Amino acid sequence: MAHVVLTDLVKTYGTFKAVNNVSLRVEDGEFVALVGPSGCGKTTTLNLVAGLVPLTSGDITIGDRIVNDIDPKDRDIAMVFQNYALYPQKSVYKNLAFPLQMRKLPRDEIDLKVKEAARVLDMTHLLERKPRELSGGQQQRVALGRALVRDPAVFLMDEPLSNLDAKLRVQMRSEIKRFHQDLKATIIYVTHDQLEAVTMADKMAVMNGGFLQQYDSPATVFANPVNMFVASFIGSPAMSLVPLEVSTNNGDTALSGTEGWSMALSPLNARKVQNSTSKKVVLGARHSTIKLHKHVIAGGIPAKVYTVEPTGDVTFVQALLSGATVNISVPPTVSVAPDETVWLEFDQQRIHLFDGETEMALSAA
Amino acid sequence: MTAVGSPADSACRKNVQRTGILRQAWINRSDYLYVLPSIGVMLVVIAYPIYYTIELSFFNTPPSLQLRDKIFVGLDNYGLILQSNVFWRVTLNTIIWTVASTFFAFFLGLGAALALHREFFGRGVLRAILIIPWVISAVAASYIWKWIYHSDFGVIGAVLVGLGLADRPPNFIDNVNTVLPSLIVVNVWREFPFAMIMLMAGLQTVPDQLLRAATVDGAGPWQRFWHVTFPHLKGVSTVTILLLAVANFNSFIIPWIMTGGGPSNASHIWITHIYELAFGRQRWGVASAYSVLLFLIVMTFGYFYVRALSGSERKARG
Amino acid sequence: MMNSPSNPTPKARRPIDRWRWTGRLFLVLMLLYTAVPMIWMLLTSIKSGFAALQFPPQWWPDEPTLASYQKLLDPTNSVGRDFLRFFWNSLFVSTVTTILAVIVAVPAAYAFSRFDFPGRKFLFFAVLLRNMFPAVIFLVPLFILMRLLGLVNTHGSLILTYLTFGLPLAIWLLKGFYDNIPIQLEQAARIDGATRFQAFILVVMPLSVPGIIATAIYSFIGAWNEYIFAYTFINRNDQLTLPVGIQRFFSENTTDFPGLMAASFMMSLPVVVLFLLLQRYFVKALTEGAVKH
Repeated sequence: MAHVVLTDLVKTYGTFKAVNNVSLRVEDGEFVALVGPSGCGKTTTLNLVAGLVPLTSGDITIGDRIVNDIDPKDRDIAMVFQNYALYPQKSVYKNLAFPLQMRKLPRDEIDLKVKEAARVLDMTHLLERKPRELSGGQQQRVALGRALVRDPAVFLMDEPLSNLDAKLRVQMRSEIKRFHQDLKATIIYVTHDQLEAVTMADKMAVMNGGFLQQYDSPATVFANPVNMFVASFIGSPAMSLVPLEVSTNNGDTALSGTEGWSMALSPLNARKVQNSTSKKVVLGARHSTIKLHKHVIAGGIPAKVYTVEPTGDVTFVQALLSGATVNISVPPTVSVAPDETVWLEFDQQRIHLFDGETEMALSAA
Repeated sequence: MTAVGSPADSACRKNVQRTGILRQAWINRSDYLYVLPSIGVMLVVIAYPIYYTIELSFFNTPPSLQLRDKIFVGLDNYGLILQSNVFWRVTLNTIIWTVASTFFAFFLGLGAALALHREFFGRGVLRAILIIPWVISAVAASYIWKWIYHSDFGVIGAVLVGLGLADRPPNFIDNVNTVLPSLIVVNVWREFPFAMIMLMAGLQTVPDQLLRAATVDGAGPWQRFWHVTFPHLKGVSTVTILLLAVANFNSFIIPWIMTGGGPSNASHIWITHIYELAFGRQRWGVASAYSVLLFLIVMTFGYFYVRALSGSERKARG
Repeated sequence: MMNSPSNPTPKARRPIDRWRWTGRLFLVLMLLYTAVPMIWMLLTSIKSGFAALQFPPQWWPDEPTLASYQKLLDPTNSVGRDFLRFFWNSLFVSTVTTILAVIVAVPAAYAFSRFDFPGRKFLFFAVLLRNMFPAVIFLVPLFILMRLLGLVNTHGSLILTYLTFGLPLAIWLLKGFYDNIPIQLEQAARIDGATRFQAFILVVMPLSVPGIIATAIYSFIGAWNEYIFAYTFINRNDQLTLPVGIQRFFSENTTDFPGLMAASFMMSLPVVVLFLLLQRYFVKALTEGAVKH
């Protein structure tokens, strides 16, 4: 196992910059998820690490070796693809043996390793089948097995679960996590599903438009998103973002909505807003941090209910506020109806404030 | 915490613009090895002939002289061609031949492909039989049809007489008026299976869901074809029609073997005419000038051809 | 009005039936158009020379005979000797052309499908454009070129030209096929330790077998049936291929129609059998390659 360091990685196609100065460090044995919407440059970044596309500029270090100009086969990596990329004409056994054959291992050693991998992944009975005779989950497992037999320095995974159905995905998610814990493997995992990243990774790198937005532990990214993109991308349902104006209420800094109401701020939040040069501030709040009241309360902000979505153990209410939609979760016992007016109470400790122009999180310092 | 937020960074430009074409070519030098054999072979066999044809078109080459003693005549050959009646006759023949053959081959092929699309007993056998004429050599086809058209013992003539439709067997290919249509029938016989195969392949890409959706929306068979199937076949059809047109424009064997261009040039098309001028009458200069003209015509619809063929990479599904 | 619920059913079914019957009728007519000439060829080929020249014709030969075939296939008489030699020449030229075409077209098509090198588009256009030019344009200069290379009256001249003239469509056909093989397979192979070339040979090649077979059939049939170059480049009897050889046999005003038909049949048989055996690969290659991108 080895650590991986990306320094100022750039990849351009013609004039299009797919990856923009991405730098990050993956520690030995760490599970890092590259996450972002499609087209954000995460798969390109992974392909750069794999050596499947040539680098425009920057450095890639695997272990203590700069691998910029080294062939994929000599980078000591293994990769799992979204469509599994199993060799359709080869049996499972031969698929697993292929990377070992390429490394010219003796035949009996190959046999030993293939059978061991098959045993670990519980697919000894499938060895003689062809990929097309396997289910999606089984194919996925063979793809994992093919990466596993190699005992590589780094595992690269490109959306390995997105072709599976929802139930299987949850199951494979825990299998891959277990696989990481048992092997202490260094894994770089690309996904567009923030839930996968949050549940599996030690650290997540959120990407957008070819730029690395934030690189930290899922808990930190969740709690302290650096900008509005990260805030809205991580977490489900998404964080509600409400654009507001800065105003003063009896000399105190407050925020006001288009409906004419204003919201008082805690001293810390007021300081954040005062530090900003912009008059526009975006309020961010996760569904669980907002309280919904059916009657007027002090400090409550009136909003109109738009839809109500009961899911069983929790009901999601969407309400319109200052031109934006706010997600609130309430216990299933609370009954609200569309078009009803409700009063929202925001938790000053847990709201997020963003600069309405730069979209960056406001800081108190 | 590493946070690179605002997407307004441009410090990495320096490395991008220096990647010029030559550098890229050098980086990808091994890629050229894969194409080199094809391009190499084609250069030898094509570039030189094109050059030589153009050169020769400016010379007079009397049969009495060796080819290397040719006489420079400037554009005379071109003038000669454009003034001759035969040129216009042959051009008209070529247009009729190309357009009619392409039209009938395409639509018979389309009809057969549609009729064969539905599963029924014996479909595989029927399809195989319909494909055979395309595989048969054009030389064999020419002889077979020449025999069928035979003015004394031809089977078509015999059938017509037997049914009382004619007093005596008609003379199909020794008649100025019937020779070209008769040859087109042979040509279509050989070519419609190609259109059929291409369109059958195209039909397989028409999504069933769309057809079902159209049925639910109340579309009849004709409307389904026109609104769903046909738009899906557009890409394949363009490619097929162009390939057919090119093949027809360039065809030689059928008229050459069946009639040699006769009677009195009624079945000469450009290619057979050029061939006769060059190899029959040793008029290399005029034949080359003809070739250059032909070349120019071919290049104009070559432009559309290449666009359709390379464009079908993306368009065929449209 | 009472009957209205049951009325639409027959009304809606009638047009479908009409279309189906039109389709069937059309197929019958096409079958006649296609098959009658071939059947007449076969029937004529088993007549005696005298029986063929009768009017009205013997629809079914009174005394069927295989004499024409015996003559063509008997190496002890001069006709049979020549015919078998032409047959062998055709087989040789077509086979060598096919093998070379596959060897040359496969890497080219692969490169056009996968690599992104400067000039790729231009070269691909050039390859396609080649297909536009009629053979006749090239005849004179090619003849001179072949003389220069000392290839006149050799099979080399034919193989070289057939190769050039068959390549564009072969490359195009194969490229379409490669476009549909997921690139991840090669990427996986390269990460598993294969070089780009090994990935191509070990992973892509086996998957492109149907495409290669289709290309091979296409090249073989093209070479087997080619006439104009053989007619121009080859003068020596012992080097002739079938299409031209047959023409030498049966002069302009021949009356040996059974012989001519038997020869036509013998000439068509190998390619027809080959094609019918392998046609599913051909259709598959067209569907996956040329048509469905």
